[in-house]
Amino acid sequence: MISTLLNVLVGPLVLVLFVVLAVALLTLVERKVLGYMQLRKGPNVVGPYGLLQPFADALKLLTKEPVRPSTASPLLFLVAPVMALILALTLWTPMPLPFPVADLNLGILFILALSSLAVYSILGSGWASNSKYALIGALRAVAQTISYEVSLGLILLNAIIFTGGFTLQTFSVAQESTWLILPAWPLAAMWYVSTLAETNRAPFDLTEGESELVSGFNVEYAGGPFALFFLAEYANILLMNTLSATLFLGSSVSHAIPELTSITLMIKAVLLSVLFLWVRASYPRFRYDQLMHLIWKNFLPLTLALVIWHLSLPIALSGLPPQL
Amino acid sequence: MAGSKVKQDMPPPGGYAAFDYKRNLPKRGLSGFSMFGIGIGIMMFGYWRLFSWNRERRRLQIEELEARVALMPLLQAEHDRRTLRMLRENLEEEAVIMKDVPGWKVGESVFHTDRWVTPMTEELFNLRPREELLHKRFGFLWYV
Amino acid sequence: MPTTLEVPTPQELKVDEVNVSSAVLKAAAHHYGSQCDKPNKEFMLCRWEEKDPRKCLEEGRKVNECALNFFRQIKGNCAESFTEYWTCLDYTNLAELRHCRKQQQAFDSCVLEKLGWERPQLGDLSKVTKVATSRPLPENPYHSRPRPEPNPAIETKLEPSKYGSRLFFWNW
Repeated sequence: MISTLLNVLVGPLVLVLFVVLAVALLTLVERKVLGYMQLRKGPNVVGPYGLLQPFADALKLLTKEPVRPSTASPLLFLVAPVMALILALTLWTPMPLPFPVADLNLGILFILALSSLAVYSILGSGWASNSKYALIGALRAVAQTISYEVSLGLILLNAIIFTGGFTLQTFSVAQESTWLILPAWPLAAMWYVSTLAETNRAPFDLTEGESELVSGFNVEYAGGPFALFFLAEYANILLMNTLSATLFLGSSVSHAIPELTSITLMIKAVLLSVLFLWVRASYPRFRYDQLMHLIWKNFLPLTLALVIWHLSLPIALSGLPPQL
Repeated sequence: MAGSKVKQDMPPPGGYAAFDYKRNLPKRGLSGFSMFGIGIGIMMFGYWRLFSWNRERRRLQIEELEARVALMPLLQAEHDRRTLRMLRENLEEEAVIMKDVPGWKVGESVFHTDRWVTPMTEELFNLRPREELLHKRFGFLWYV
Repeated sequence: MPTTLEVPTPQELKVDEVNVSSAVLKAAAHHYGSQCDKPNKEFMLCRWEEKDPRKCLEEGRKVNECALNFFRQIKGNCAESFTEYWTCLDYTNLAELRHCRKQQQAFDSCVLEKLGWERPQLGDLSKVTKVATSRPLPENPYHSRPRPEPNPAIETKLEPSKYGSRLFFWNW
């Protein structure tokens, strides 16, 4: 009874707690890093080094009155942000940190499926707002997300061919001798760019598009629901970076000191996240047609060709991984 | 008119000095070809390491499978005995439960055959606590 | 013909079981496979041919006897290094053999020294083998019904059909 309770309730809740905490601190890190890159200080008033700033923000957002536009679809308007956050948190289930909450046999497919579901929360919120800006922002976001999901899937296929398993733990076994970024660095580069686009980050943040769309699909949201969207977005960013770290940046398990696994993995994820921020500070926004050309005319043919190449090469050199 | 007073503004004899208008960036880093070469080289090195490790992993997998192959007779024999023992207990229980029903044949096969039919897990555990059935079914799965 | 289920008596089923955990079994697996090769193969052949666990109880008893004997020998001679080996396996995640090579080395050399058992080479245990056995080959293990009589040969003269095949409709 106790162990069932621990497994079913307490374990996931602890994970959720830490993910939300990490998200809160990521927003602070983002503001700090962007600040220092632009020669200013960033938040430094609330708490030491502004450490309490995210909590103050959350408090402010949650105590504000949630605005519900009178012409909006009332149910969908509130369901969409909740669904966004739930999906973003559920995505963490199969992540090996170093042990997943649920040891899914097809963990990668689970992640792919759920991250495609996230599109519906965006679409729902944009449509339910009953506003032109929100609708157009949502459509843009959805088109972009599902386009980049294609290349994400193909790159994952490449990685699966190299490691021989759909479980994320096989990746840490397969990368014990070499990081997958070495044999597959073009894929890793494309993967990273695709994760940028998948999470709607700069320079692919066309959904925000302040000048023309005010702030994208979530214009009409304020207070609590907005906080949920915000949390979901940053949880997705962290998840994508953790996923990139497990996929390409080697096995985080050291058999001598297994206690270090989580720390190593999260250090890699944090470095990738800071790179996200660096990219945001450095590059201007893409035009929409450029964004679409990048995926459909560059990434898609390249990854397709690489799938064939990476299938034929291990077969030719008998370097296929063991199949269970 | 021979020689006007006005002196036209002309370039100096021999023309102006060359004007530096071209973009003038110092060439930094490696040439494109060598960067390309380094990239390919890294990939080749990575392929080599990855493929040799994959071959080693296949060997390790064979070893693990052989451990199972070696143990299989022992486990199978034990499993067979356990199944038969449980079937016997079930039959005894059935005899006790159905003793008041006239014409009931204890242990009558539901199949139209006299060959051995491997009993289903539910059949074996039907008269036992549900906890045991769940343990039998899900207790040894290491993934969902 | 609904039949009643025949189950052997508990006395027939009573065998000294090997009461050890999975890590112990796995640690001993390779040596066990090579030492108890004969009864193991005999049992598996019986099981394969008879398709009925009730008919292979005697072979199964021999398998268990050999296994018990095997573990007794290890316990008598190499208890210490063996315990170290299987505890190491027990502490790794999926009891993978590759994480415990050092302990395995100690155990192997102890076994080789005291008992003269050599660890089988990679691939030896999964080879296809022939087993010499005195057990007769079972007749009709699937209890299949007898084959039907073949159709009698047609006596009359066979002629081509008058209007061609009725399956042929492409006839313009």
